[in-house]
Amino acid sequence: MSDAEPAGGVEASRESGITEGEHLLTVRDVDAGYGEDLQILTSVNMFVDEGEYVTIVGPNGAGKSTAMKSVFGLTTHMGGNIVFDGQDITGLAPEDIIHLGIGYVPQSDNVFPSLSVRENLEMGAYILEEVPQDALEAVYDRFPILEEREEQRAGTLSGGQQQMLAMGRALMLDPDLLLLDEPSAGLAPDLVDEMFDRIDVINDDGTAILMVEQNAKEALRRCDRGYVLAQGENRYMDDGQRLLEDEEVRQQFLGG
Amino acid sequence: MGVRDTVNRGRIVAIERPDVFLVWVLGAALVVDLLWGLATGGIAFSTLASNVWDGIMRGLVIGLAGIGLSMTYSILNFANFAHGDYITAGAFAGWSVTYLITGFGEYDLGALVLVGPKSNVTGTIIGIGVVSTPLAVLAGLLVAGAATIALALLVDRYVYRPLRDEGGITLLITSIGVAFALRYLIAFVFDSSTRTTAGTTGNPAVRLNFVDGTVRVSSHDVTLVVVSVGLMLGVHYLLQRTKLGKAMRAMADNEDLARVTGIPTERVVRSTWIIGGGLTGFAGFMLVLWKETIRFNDGWLLLLLIFAAVIMGGIGSIYGAIAGGLIIGIVASTSVIWVPSGLTEATAFLVMILVLLFRPEGIFSGRSTA
Repeated sequence: MSDAEPAGGVEASRESGITEGEHLLTVRDVDAGYGEDLQILTSVNMFVDEGEYVTIVGPNGAGKSTAMKSVFGLTTHMGGNIVFDGQDITGLAPEDIIHLGIGYVPQSDNVFPSLSVRENLEMGAYILEEVPQDALEAVYDRFPILEEREEQRAGTLSGGQQQMLAMGRALMLDPDLLLLDEPSAGLAPDLVDEMFDRIDVINDDGTAILMVEQNAKEALRRCDRGYVLAQGENRYMDDGQRLLEDEEVRQQFLGG
Repeated sequence: MGVRDTVNRGRIVAIERPDVFLVWVLGAALVVDLLWGLATGGIAFSTLASNVWDGIMRGLVIGLAGIGLSMTYSILNFANFAHGDYITAGAFAGWSVTYLITGFGEYDLGALVLVGPKSNVTGTIIGIGVVSTPLAVLAGLLVAGAATIALALLVDRYVYRPLRDEGGITLLITSIGVAFALRYLIAFVFDSSTRTTAGTTGNPAVRLNFVDGTVRVSSHDVTLVVVSVGLMLGVHYLLQRTKLGKAMRAMADNEDLARVTGIPTERVVRSTWIIGGGLTGFAGFMLVLWKETIRFNDGWLLLLLIFAAVIMGGIGSIYGAIAGGLIIGIVASTSVIWVPSGLTEATAFLVMILVLLFRPEGIFSGRSTA
């Protein structure tokens, strides 16, 4: 799906890889962090093309989640700019960004536990006048278990089901780009594969995905393109398979 | 078999949780005593029924006032100690209008507006009552709600909102300050005397036959039941069926998630103050209509009972607030069978402590928050 051909080997792709043409999402030289002066990211560059599946991997504390949150306006912006669909979204608040077609699924606490499954999905479409029935049907088709448990309180669902519900809620607005923060975190090992399969299907239906994953090998195997971040900076960028095969990346970041 | 199982289970409880066992024994002893009293005529059935009815009335006022407190607690995450004085403020605003409409042209305007601080203009003298002056009562009720909404929004805008990121303790202590300021402002403007707002004149009552006597049910009792049950059902509908209500529950669950979902959180906060404030004002007006007197510290004195009800019900749950209110009310009113009337409120608090020993999170914790 990637139409931006990475320039040469790993060395060259340490650069941003951003081409002159339009990308769906372009993150350029972004410095970001939390509070007044806790800076996590230094000059991070990323892009996601329409319908592309991109993952961010890297060691703990590399700033993976922060990089994704900076796209959704959840960090303190300290420099650079972010353009989505031709519009500068640098410094916008999440409630504004959600109107533009970006959905975000946090890593944990990502459902409203005392609301029913259906109410959780309705909240996903809060910014619309009416709950879009076709979107609701589409979510139920994708995750039939959610329709079965429609009336059940979300807090009583299993971890895997809650993760589905969280994704379903983000899909209610049919976003062009879905941000997923560690979707496999906390899932039983046998459910992890299933979760990645579902993400593949969402992507196949045309939604671009930017995902942060601890489970780096599996994520790189599945995605179109990957970024390796370390200490808040870009390290490598290449297509997923090539990163997996790269000796340096394997040694440093994938445990050999 | 069944009996032996029960006995066995009882023995296990007695050994493992002696405190729980003791409470059950005490409870059983009270029930036996009550039944014995009823059987031998020591306690009249009608007296018990009257006490329970009085307790339900008291419970409805506490429950209604508790909903507003519980709502603001669950959505804004702080215990608003000024809540009691919002009740008083609503009551004075509403009764001022009720006095004005009823006595206009016949009595001194200033005395009417200030809810008759001098004893010659009391509710009984000017003839206030839900049957004699229904429109004045209705207008007062609505104004009480509206005035309390305005007050809640004003205080939130200029006091609480600038402090919203400072954490619960700062807000709590600030709200105690707001409580004192408000209370003594009310005392300064309206005077600190106790006055009678209504009596039997406009408030006919029926005596219902009950086994060995009668139970008195006044038209103000009936009004309280209708208004409070109606409002409670309305709140239930709002929270369960409307988009705003669901957003309020979502925000009570997880404010950060609500924000990234696109729920306009500041607007939900404002709506919470509007709904909570309105209910609080209604509760203040109904409190005074039911107990037939008004004073500058009515709400403050009620606040401890409201907190007890809300905590017992599971703080944050509106159903808990209602259930807790009814339990507190009924316990306080029926405890006069065993304890001197000066100790009724102490008994209510004792029951609250016992309930919390059994269910530290409250009766309705984790259910249908907001």
